[in-house]
Amino acid sequence: MAITAEDFAPTIALDGTRKVRGNMTQARLRWVILAIVLGFATVGGRLVQLGMIVPDNSIEGVARAEITATRPPILDRNGLEMAVDIRVPSLYAEPRRIIDVEEAVSKLRTVLPNLSESWLRSRLTGDKGFVWLQRELSPAIEERVMRLGIPGIEFLTESKRFYPGMNEASHILGSTNIDNQGIAGIEKHMDVEDVALLQDLGLARGNALTPVQLSIDMRVQHVVHEEMVDALTRYKAIAAAGVIMDIHTGEIVALASVPDFDPNDPSTALVKDSFNRITAGIYELGSTFKTITIAGAIDSGAVTLNDKFDARYGIRYGRYTIDDFHGKHRVLSVPEIYKYSSNIGTIRVMQAMGKENYRAFLTRMGLDTRVPFELPEMRLPNVPKNPSDISAATMSFGHGLSVSPLHMVVAMSAIANGGNYIAPTLYRRSLEEAQSEYVRVLKPETSRDMRYLMRLNSLEGSGSLTEKIAKGYRVGGKTGTAEKVENGVYSHSKDFNVFAAVFPMDAPQYALVVVVDEPQVEEGGLGTNSAYNAGMMSGRIVQRIAPMLGVAPNFSQALDDAMVPPNLIR
Amino acid sequence: MIRNLNIILIFTSVVMLSGVYALKFAIEHTASERTALIALIDSQEGDLSVLKADEAVLNQPGHIEPIVKRHQEALAIVPVAQKQFGAFADLPMRPAQPDNAALDALLRSLDAGVDPIDAILTSEGIE
Repeated sequence: MAITAEDFAPTIALDGTRKVRGNMTQARLRWVILAIVLGFATVGGRLVQLGMIVPDNSIEGVARAEITATRPPILDRNGLEMAVDIRVPSLYAEPRRIIDVEEAVSKLRTVLPNLSESWLRSRLTGDKGFVWLQRELSPAIEERVMRLGIPGIEFLTESKRFYPGMNEASHILGSTNIDNQGIAGIEKHMDVEDVALLQDLGLARGNALTPVQLSIDMRVQHVVHEEMVDALTRYKAIAAAGVIMDIHTGEIVALASVPDFDPNDPSTALVKDSFNRITAGIYELGSTFKTITIAGAIDSGAVTLNDKFDARYGIRYGRYTIDDFHGKHRVLSVPEIYKYSSNIGTIRVMQAMGKENYRAFLTRMGLDTRVPFELPEMRLPNVPKNPSDISAATMSFGHGLSVSPLHMVVAMSAIANGGNYIAPTLYRRSLEEAQSEYVRVLKPETSRDMRYLMRLNSLEGSGSLTEKIAKGYRVGGKTGTAEKVENGVYSHSKDFNVFAAVFPMDAPQYALVVVVDEPQVEEGGLGTNSAYNAGMMSGRIVQRIAPMLGVAPNFSQALDDAMVPPNLIR
Repeated sequence: MIRNLNIILIFTSVVMLSGVYALKFAIEHTASERTALIALIDSQEGDLSVLKADEAVLNQPGHIEPIVKRHQEALAIVPVAQKQFGAFADLPMRPAQPDNAALDALLRSLDAGVDPIDAILTSEGIE
């Protein structure tokens, strides 16, 4: 029988106590190390997990910072607030935290009865983390909702834009939407420029934003706006607009257009016809254009103040004859053409200059391109590129081409300030800054001649009604009465009236353009001619604003005499 | 020796433990105070913004003018007219110095009983 190892039971070997204890310690150490490693791994894993979480800061797709972001206050040139931010509570809900939807709905409706029951119920049901219920509420309502004590219903403080001037500067300021983003006017321009960037960077929080100062003077703005609103009742006009510009710096001091809207209630901006007529309306500005035509002709050297032109007969173009409105039908000197607003004379002046030169002059004055200006609401002017003879003839007295009143006020400034084109601005601009941007478009002598002509028209021509009201403030201006085109033909009953002026004429500072759309005869008034509405409105405006702008009245005849050019033969 | 050390260590750790807890509660208290202050500042900033807006409304020319018009009669005020403006430069110059010597001579001759006007009247043949 073979002896094999399998037949033996394993040998019984007993370890010594020391060895057993040593083994046990080792095993325990391993367990402890394992436990420690696991513990640290758990902590580490949790840390990694926490690090991976992307916090959801958005509220219905809009970043939380953007909603609470503020906008810089807007001040007028004297530091008066035109737009400020106010903090308002907005109501939101966290549906996933709401326990009893029905209770929440019925309780909320006791405070906010305007919320529909079904809408509120659908809004509060579900597993969403954030839903708006109603934004921009009053602190009193916040208090009452908090008293209800509904879990999951909370408030968030938002910034809301407020315009203390209400309607008065609506077309300048524009408006903002509920997320505090500019949607029109200077608010939109500011967003495009830098506020949006600030908000993106998260810097636009708190009240630390530097205020933005505009060139507008709210006192002047108030007067102009009031006069425009008055025109709607006094002359039963469908619209009226006015703009005042500092002719040396290009700063817009006031800009009003009615009908307008309340920027605190942006939905009113959608009302028909409430667009900005100064920048976004283009019109045939009628006889006020004669100022530009004559300035161009004198500047080209083709015409001097002493030249005389035959205005005895109307000018025939095929079937059409262009005649004067209140024709003198005699030979007229240049000052007489301007004073009597002779269409024939102005065409002759333009022809002496040449229609190509005239067209080029319009380009030089920036009348066929968009005015460089901050407001986004702008329209391109409509000026024929290669005008025919008849087209150039009508253009010379402001028909057959459409520009905005802003174009006109800029042209008036260049004509009166010594012949320098300066783009208008809504921000503050010092004289030095403006001078560095000057573009010479006219000779200083032309500017001097034109100042004389404009003053002459106020003393002896169509501006005399304005002069009567604003006596002492040395207004020089030109009226324009353009018949409106209705179904393709000029209407004799519907006018578009303009008054373009500069004051004080001896040391010009401000240019002013007033337009009135379809004015009727004032009660007890004499006519619908521009002098009776736009002209008198301008007079009233200047009479009220001149003291605010630091223009002192002076009745001295010597000032007018000093404006007569030395080379004029009378 | 080692027993004493242990007792000291136990005491130290108990003291430090209570210290840490006290610190924790103090910090929690400060944090809640801070939160309350932030909330207070926030609400006061909100109130301030509303007050500023109120002030801006009250300062608007468009708000002031109706008030002026309402009290125009009671206060007897009207808008200023052009002729009411004046300047120091518009005042006429002061007349030249009075001729004191001639006046003295005249008074002296009057005292003496001679009225120069008589001589002129006589020469003109009026008297």
